[in-house]
This record gives sequence, C-alpha cells and structure tokens, in this order.
Amino acid sequence: MSAVLTPPPTAPAGSFGGLVRAETHRFLARRFIRVLLLVALAGWATALVVSLLAFQTPSPERLAEARAAQQEQIQLAGEGREQCLADPARPADVAPDDWCGPPATADQLPLSMFLQPEPFSLSADGTAGAVSVAALAAALAFLVGGTFVGAEWSTRSMVALLFWETRRPRVMAAKLLVTAVASAVLGLLMQALWLGLATLLQSVVGDGVTPPAGFWSELLGAQGRGVLLAVFAGLLGFGLTNLLRNTGAATGVAFVYVAIAENAVRALRPAWQPWLLTNNAAALVLPDGLTLYLDDRVDSQGVYRQVEYLLTSGQAAAFLTLVTAAVVGVGVVLFNRRDLH
Amino acid sequence: MPAVELHAVSKSYTRRGRPPQKALDDLHLVVESGGVHGFLGPNGSGKTTTIRVLLGLVRADAGDVRLLDRPVPAGLPEVIGSVGALVETPLFFPGFSGRRNLRLLAETAGVPRGRVEEVLDVVALRDRADDRFKGYSLGMKQRLGIAAALLKRPRLLVLDEPSNGLDPAGIRDVRELIRRLGSDGSTTVLLSSHLLAEIEQVADSVSIMARGRCIASGPVREVLAGRSSGDVRVRVPDRAAAAAVLTAAGYRVSPADDALLVSAVRAPGEVTRLLAEHGHYLEELSPVAADLESAFLALTADPA
Repeated sequence: MSAVLTPPPTAPAGSFGGLVRAETHRFLARRFIRVLLLVALAGWATALVVSLLAFQTPSPERLAEARAAQQEQIQLAGEGREQCLADPARPADVAPDDWCGPPATADQLPLSMFLQPEPFSLSADGTAGAVSVAALAAALAFLVGGTFVGAEWSTRSMVALLFWETRRPRVMAAKLLVTAVASAVLGLLMQALWLGLATLLQSVVGDGVTPPAGFWSELLGAQGRGVLLAVFAGLLGFGLTNLLRNTGAATGVAFVYVAIAENAVRALRPAWQPWLLTNNAAALVLPDGLTLYLDDRVDSQGVYRQVEYLLTSGQAAAFLTLVTAAVVGVGVVLFNRRDLH
Repeated sequence: MPAVELHAVSKSYTRRGRPPQKALDDLHLVVESGGVHGFLGPNGSGKTTTIRVLLGLVRADAGDVRLLDRPVPAGLPEVIGSVGALVETPLFFPGFSGRRNLRLLAETAGVPRGRVEEVLDVVALRDRADDRFKGYSLGMKQRLGIAAALLKRPRLLVLDEPSNGLDPAGIRDVRELIRRLGSDGSTTVLLSSHLLAEIEQVADSVSIMARGRCIASGPVREVLAGRSSGDVRVRVPDRAAAAAVLTAAGYRVSPADDALLVSAVRAPGEVTRLLAEHGHYLEELSPVAADLESAFLALTADPA
C-alpha cells in the first residue's frame, strides 16, 4: 500500500443528481434486469414465429370456400329451426325463439370459423392484446421494483449508502424515481413490442380489414393506461418489499393476496369487489372500464336481479394512486425513523 | 476542534417482550482532531452503537453528538463528504466487481472517477478490481472496504476492526496506512479494534468503553500510567537472601524467572539502598510497566 493522501476541507454529501445517476447505473447493471430484457426480446421473437405459423391470410379461393361453407351452415340451421317450429309437440306457452332459438345469421357464424388457419385481425385482437400485455408488464414491473430494493436490504447496501448520503428521504426518493421511470420504460417497451408485432402480423397474415373509426385511439389509450399500470405495479413492488425488507416475503404476500384473499372476497363479499386491486388494474386498462356483478338481489316485485357496477378507469386510477402512495409512504416513514444495523 | 464529541449520550434498545437494553449510558467521549484514536471495549460495551450514532444510523435517546463540529444527525449532511467509514463487514453488491462498486459510491458522493483508481492502488487491489466482489477473499473484501472509506479523502476515518480477515502482511500494511493517515496532521482516525497490540502500536490516544460508558480516555501513555502497578523487577546474585531482606522491610516479594518481583514500590531508590546496605548489589532494577492489555482488563472487569 502506497500513495499519499491529502484530505481537503470538510465536504458535504453529494448532489441528488449524482445519487440518481448512481442508482440508475446500479439498476441497469443488475443481471436480473438484463436477463429480463433478453427474455422479453426472446418472447417477442417466439410470439412472432408462432403467430406467423398459426395465422394465414386467406387466398380468394379459400375465402370463397369459407363463404360457401358459412352459407351452408346458416341454411342448415334455418332448416332445423323450421322443423322445430313445425313440431306439434312444441309447447304453446313458450315463445318460438325460446324453444327453437333465433334465426341463424352471419354474426352468429362468423367467417373466421370457416377459415383454418384463420387470419390475424388487428381490429378484433389489437386492444385485447394490449390489455394482456399490460397485465404481463405489471407483473414484471412488480418484480423489478421488488428485487431492486430487496437486493439493497439483503446485501445491506442500503445501510452502506447512508455513509454517503445521510438524508434518508433523498435516498428513498432517488430509488423511487428510478423504479418509477424503469417501470414506465418497461411498460412502454412491452406495449411497443406488442404494437410492432400486431402491425407486422396484420400486414403479413392479417385479415385485410381496415380498422374501424376510433380503433387507434382506443388501442393507444389502452396502451398508455397499461404503461401507467406498470408504474403503479413497480412502485407497489418496491413499497411492499421495502416494508418487509425481503423480496421473497413480498412476492409471497402478493401471491397470497391475489390467489387467495381476492378470490375469498369475490366468493364471500362480492359487494367489496370495487376495492380489489386486480379489478382496479383491469378497470384502469380496459377501454370501457370494468363491469362488476356485485350481488343478486330480489327487487320489490320479487324478481331476482343482478346488481352491476361499472368501475371506470378514472376511479381505478385514483384508487391505485391512493394504495400505492400508502404502501410506499409507510415504508419511507419507517425507513426514516428506524435505527439501522 | 474535536473531531468527535459525545456528551451525556444514552441509547436503549427495546425489543418486544424484553426489558429495554441500555447500550449507551450517559456516554461522554471526545476525540481530538489529528492522529489515531483507539477505541477499545469488550463485546457489548457500546463501541458499535457509538459509531452508528456518530454516523446517523442509530438515533440517540438523549445527549449531544457532534461530528467535525456539526450536530448529529441534523448537520451530518454538511460533513459526511469528509467522513469515511468501514463499520463491521464491508457492504457491497456481491454481483458487481470491486471497481464498479467503488464507482457507484464515487458517483453518489460526486467524487471524480480517477479517485477510484487511486484508492485501489492504496489498498493494492487494482489487479483484482474487475473481479466480482463475491469472489474476493475476506482480506480482499476488507481492503475494498478500506478503499471505499478512503474515496472521499476523509478528514475523519472511522474504522471498525479493519484488520479482520487480513493475513499478517495485510495487517502490517493496514497498520502502516493507518499510521500514515494519522500522522499527516489533517486526518483523524477512529480505530475500533479488539487487537490491543494493534491499538498500542498505532494509536496516539485511546478510549476504553465498558457497559455503555467511557471509563478511560486520553493519550495511551497516560492511560497506561494511570494503571501503573508500582511493581519493580530486581535481579541480584543471591535472590533468597535479598528476598529475606526486602520481606523483613515490609515489601511483598515473589520470584519471577531469574529475578524477584517486588510489589507496590513507591520509591525504587529505597529498594536499591536497602539491598546495598545488606551487601546485595543490583544487577538489574526495572519498573514493570502496565501494558494496554492489563489496563484494559483491569478497567473493564465486571465490578460484580
């Protein structure tokens, strides 16, 4: 060991910008994040290959055959209905449509049923795909947020960092900022991958149908709210793990909540469904919110009626904001007050 | 200006279902700037709690704490850039290399990246700097911890058991480094160690903790002098006859190898005169100096 060290005058702690830069570099250098990105890209490539094999744009001949088969089925269904209506055993007090069914139409027997393999339909599957991708991105963001702070506690680097920046709220703020931005980037990346995949499939193996008016605004709106959901999930993962100081425990609690607690509420207290996190997550992303069936009730005329409740995206965003703020806030307050060993 | 000041500091830990455990009990401790200050105490005496209170990791229940003339914890952000610390086990990300760990810390504190290479040189770890931390030996981990503590060019360097896991050459290197840092006039090294010999060799002053209090503090020589036994070692040709003369004069005498150990001697000249008067001429008379270990053991002995 050599070298002469000449200490300067007293120096304060580093800037918040430096702290955020260091946290960002640490985040990006984590193997879990790199593996996650690789898995996402590999998953995208696999989905592309599988979809290209599963879907196929129909040739004019196949389209004509499918239309003929569709017409044949509609005709057969119509003949069957006529026989049913003509049956003398048909009860007189039951409406014909209730006994023999309504007349068959092309809507009930869509053309895609007669196309094997069927073509990809951007208008039919674009938004539904974005909602599914949002759910996947939220689950990954939860893990990203949780493992980010969980690694800090398991290696006790959280304590070591306080030798360098003693203002604990700053330390937490830098980590939360990085988590929020990273979750948003993850959500954005996954939605961009879905949009790219869907557009590619539509152009290569699509149904050739031009999406209806308002389709793109609905799709992009759902994707934007999907990114917001990823941010909530990332922060919740961070907050819960920071409270429990263990990634495994936080993941376990999340699993028990989603798999057991929420289902128990649905079965035993259906009226509480608007307060369930997964319902709010779905309501946030779905274009028209989420309709919940809260309870069966007997009205004043003695008829059973299902009570519906529309959980809107706005309500869901407000609820998720409150829950995330509470979970993160309690963790930050405890971190600020506790003795650290 | 003292580098460290603690006045009437108390801290108790409360655990559910157990009575509060007092870790610091009206602690008064002052470490003057410059030099190496040894911080001694048996396990559970409050050393680590004291260091954690100084670094703002643990909040004191009562008392005043100042670090580099700033109150702790309120003023800590103003001076933390001048405080380097290695507390117990070095804490780093196991999957990152030593260099990357140091660079992240440097970035946090706004320290230039070039400083990372300097401190890697100081602890002789540059060749292994790109290896993952989890692959380091205990000694290498400890050296990286010291490198991190030096990154900020600290005015106050807090080292808690820095020689843990080091081989003899490493221990010597760390000792030389501490000595060099302590002698540059502008760095204060607060060295907590259970190696009494280490403290004795490098420390200018020492504080001894027991049961949450500082029971002795000052320059090493003064602390040792305060515990001086007053024993002298006497070597004469006829030990039996000399022992008889001294015992008859009221001294307590016991054999010690090829000499005699005479206890509680107020004036060694008396012993010389007495023996000479009886025809015993001294080959050796030397005071038995208290070493830090005996001082430490005597001071920290449980009164019960």
